[in-house]
Amino acid sequence: MRPPGRQNTALSVLRIGFLGAVLVFVIFPLVWLAIASLKTRAAALAVPPTVIFTPDFAAYEKIVASGLLDAFLNSFTIAITNVLLSLLIGVPAAYALARMRGALQENLSFWVLSIRLAPLFAVILPLYVLFQQLGLLDTRLAVSLAHLTLTLPLSVWLLMTYFRAMPLDLDEAAMLDGAKPWQTLLMVIVPVARPMIASVAVIVFIFSWNEFLLAFFLTSRDAQTVPVVVAGLAGTMSFDWPLIAAISICSMIPALIFVGFAQRHIVEGLASGAVK
Amino acid sequence: MTLDWRFWFLIPMIMALATVILFPTAYLFWMSTQHWLVTDPDRYFAGLDNFLRLLGGSDFWQALRVTGAYLALSTILMLGLGMGLALTFARAGSGVMRAIVVMPLVIPPVVAGFTWRFLLNGEIGFIGAFLLPMTGLDVNLLAEPRAALVSVVIADVWSRTPFMFLIFLAALQSIPRDYYEAARMDGANPFHEFFFVTLPMLRGALFVAVLFRLVDAINTFELIFVMTRGGPGRATQILSIFGWRTAFQELDFGQAAALGVVMLAICLTAAMLVFRQFVKGDPGTTGT
Amino acid sequence: MKTTATLLTASAIALALPVAAYAQTEVNIVAFAPGFAWADMFGPSGTDKTDKLRAFEEANDIVVNIEFADEETARQKVLLDLVNKTGTYDLVMLGSDGAVQTFSYAGYLEPLDDLLPTATQYFDADAVYPQFLEANRVNDQLWALPYYSFGAGVIYRKDIFDRYGIAEFPATTAELEDALATIKAGLEADGVDDMFTLTMRGAPGEEPSLDLSGFVYAYAGYPAWFEGGATTPEAIREADAKPIFTGDFREGFETFVNWSREYGPDGIATHTWVDMMNLYGAGQAVVLMPSAINGFAALGGTEDENVAQHTAFAPSPAGPSGEPVQSFWTFSIGVSAYSDNKEEAFKTLAFLTGEQAMQGFAESIGWPYSTFPSITRGEVLTAKWPAEMLDQIEASYDQANPQYFPYIPELNAFMERIGTAASEAIAGSKTVDEALEELQAWAEDRMERAGYYE
Repeated sequence: MRPPGRQNTALSVLRIGFLGAVLVFVIFPLVWLAIASLKTRAAALAVPPTVIFTPDFAAYEKIVASGLLDAFLNSFTIAITNVLLSLLIGVPAAYALARMRGALQENLSFWVLSIRLAPLFAVILPLYVLFQQLGLLDTRLAVSLAHLTLTLPLSVWLLMTYFRAMPLDLDEAAMLDGAKPWQTLLMVIVPVARPMIASVAVIVFIFSWNEFLLAFFLTSRDAQTVPVVVAGLAGTMSFDWPLIAAISICSMIPALIFVGFAQRHIVEGLASGAVK
Repeated sequence: MTLDWRFWFLIPMIMALATVILFPTAYLFWMSTQHWLVTDPDRYFAGLDNFLRLLGGSDFWQALRVTGAYLALSTILMLGLGMGLALTFARAGSGVMRAIVVMPLVIPPVVAGFTWRFLLNGEIGFIGAFLLPMTGLDVNLLAEPRAALVSVVIADVWSRTPFMFLIFLAALQSIPRDYYEAARMDGANPFHEFFFVTLPMLRGALFVAVLFRLVDAINTFELIFVMTRGGPGRATQILSIFGWRTAFQELDFGQAAALGVVMLAICLTAAMLVFRQFVKGDPGTTGT
Repeated sequence: MKTTATLLTASAIALALPVAAYAQTEVNIVAFAPGFAWADMFGPSGTDKTDKLRAFEEANDIVVNIEFADEETARQKVLLDLVNKTGTYDLVMLGSDGAVQTFSYAGYLEPLDDLLPTATQYFDADAVYPQFLEANRVNDQLWALPYYSFGAGVIYRKDIFDRYGIAEFPATTAELEDALATIKAGLEADGVDDMFTLTMRGAPGEEPSLDLSGFVYAYAGYPAWFEGGATTPEAIREADAKPIFTGDFREGFETFVNWSREYGPDGIATHTWVDMMNLYGAGQAVVLMPSAINGFAALGGTEDENVAQHTAFAPSPAGPSGEPVQSFWTFSIGVSAYSDNKEEAFKTLAFLTGEQAMQGFAESIGWPYSTFPSITRGEVLTAKWPAEMLDQIEASYDQANPQYFPYIPELNAFMERIGTAASEAIAGSKTVDEALEELQAWAEDRMERAGYYE
């Protein structure tokens, strides 16, 4: 795959330049935010920017008092619940779809995919009514369930394409040994598909973690997620940029840790099926 | 014959999706036929009135134009950037660099919006108030209509490109190496390789990427809202913000629902076209 | 593996289940500005109850639960709660610029007139500036009680005015325009490029509409939204009064837009009140108007010495009609029609908006605005502010016409549209006339649809 070096000096320079530019584009806002979070309000707004300043941790102290820590717990619980539900429901469904053929399969899988296309603002009111009837408003469960609208079709679609690429001999051998379909799925398919399932789990987690609109409308006090709290704090009495910056930085940390080791899984999982 | 096992495997999914989606969608269709103004105690059947009003007014078309421009601009940039990154990382770049490039993926869009607003703001932003004036350009990035659209696109590209990148990287890694070797034997240069080997092999990935982009763009809300509130004026008011304003500010639920139905129709059509183009045309790309 | 997964799911779902509610009369409130509103009740974080609040809770066997959100968010929560008749919130944040009118007409609120006598120990309606109650009166009934509230006024930088030879703050809009031009030219000549002459707000949505309506009132001399200045649904129906956004509304609208473009910051077309406050607080603006309260908010948070030392207050200038530019608003709270405990809710409301609470607000925030004359004239505020200024502020209440815009159910939608039209005109994507024509067409359609002209 690696082409011989001679004709490619220009290309390598281009590549390094491009990569450097992208890295700056990605990192700079975050670094700037991190710096701003340590400034006083006046210093954060100064133009030209103050370069030398004594770090001020007031913003972070405010955060500890603001209930953002609860929001982390909420976001995390919601995302994990959502991952488990997506997989528990999605894996068998994707397997069934993968082992179907013809028009029914095609229509069904397109239907699953198209469900993702409903504009969120328009389904909020009915979802609100639904969860109100179920008595689930402002619970983590409600948000987890609502996030299924986004994540279940996604995981079914990704897993389906993956399962379809798996050789049929595996199932057939198991079936010949007298295994029931669910046994085949659990004993044969799932172990083989573990990297892909891990990758879907990571993607689903990220979607749920980032989602704002549904979480915003369905929660009020007890179940607010990180993006909802961030949005709420940012708009209050004064636009306290250091505080917003500090909140933003904090809101990234858990997810960054998570993605640090999980991003490899995403690529591996996607590579082993979904986009082939 | 009793019901096939596949049926039982599908039932939980169908039930789950029916609850969280079919019911709301049915409700949406019903709402779209109602004269339902929160300010008006009378709620009654209005037939297609909401649709006629929506399509007959200028707001919808304005929002559609903005959405189109926003979608096109951001998609081109994201695909280009994502593809460029994937090609680069297939040959160079360390795991640490890759982790850095992927970082924005886990940053909630609402945070991304604030971050960029902070940078681009024309009075206090490092880019908007310091770097840009030094270059002699006198434009307020968030308050000049065209610049504002570009600004929200930049923030969106920053926030969502990593996902494109990962999709493409995954796809690149799954292209068998002998394809390249064969091409090289035929005397192909890197550009030939890209256009005749890589690109055709990326069709499936492109499909997934474009589809994700479509869904993402349709539901983009908070990123734009925190940056410009859809302004100045309506310059960055994409359909989702227009819908939100109609429903929750102007309190016209019927009209908002009609917009929801129209958006759903547009998206379905678009998805079907993409689906045809990429999947049906070439069965090999779905992995079968 | 399956068992583990099941266990995990079960525990995750268990974690996600709601916390069981306890049995006592609970009053749930949604409001904005934690640590600012009722800082003396809920502490600086907005979540700790102070002894003051606990005393109230114990005396009345009520548990007060407050949920703070940002202003926009809080409005959405209230709306969803009321529209769906959920009754989650017993007390809802309203504001006298749309929500009080819209929700009272829709039947979502409990009228308060009969409840007033039940909690006079906390809230004495006769002790309040009548205009702040008037602002929350729709269709001859009272729907909400005012918390912090304000009238029109100007906050400006005396040092800059002095520097360019303007000794007195102008009393009319025409003179003010001259002054703004002088200052702008002066700043330019002196090479000051990080200071704007005027800061107002021009973000799309309802943000600019309150102040803009104040300009319209000052230029037309009446609430020039509908023919004949009709301000109630009955009056509009009776006179068959059509919208006049391309008529008498125009001059005030145009002035607001032109001043924003000419003297405002470059980003004004996306600025909310927070931006205008920040700009003033950072010493980047000379004049903030016409809702001076935002100027006082800026003073509270400023780290700029010049701003702190050289800020002065002036009454809102009079327009060509002789009426001053208006800006009058109450952060008001009402009782949900779907509350199960309306009496307890009202008692809590009376406590939270009563003299004791407003005294706490004066002590912790210290703005020269209060809903009670006794507090404006009380020790805390007279010690902090010059007597002349407090006189001027009281005078601004007397000059205020709380109904300087129509009190119609559609007010929310109109505020939204007017603000967006202004934002478009300020950004230059439409001319004033184009924006107003579009507004006019929309307004005619909306009124028609609501059945006004049958």
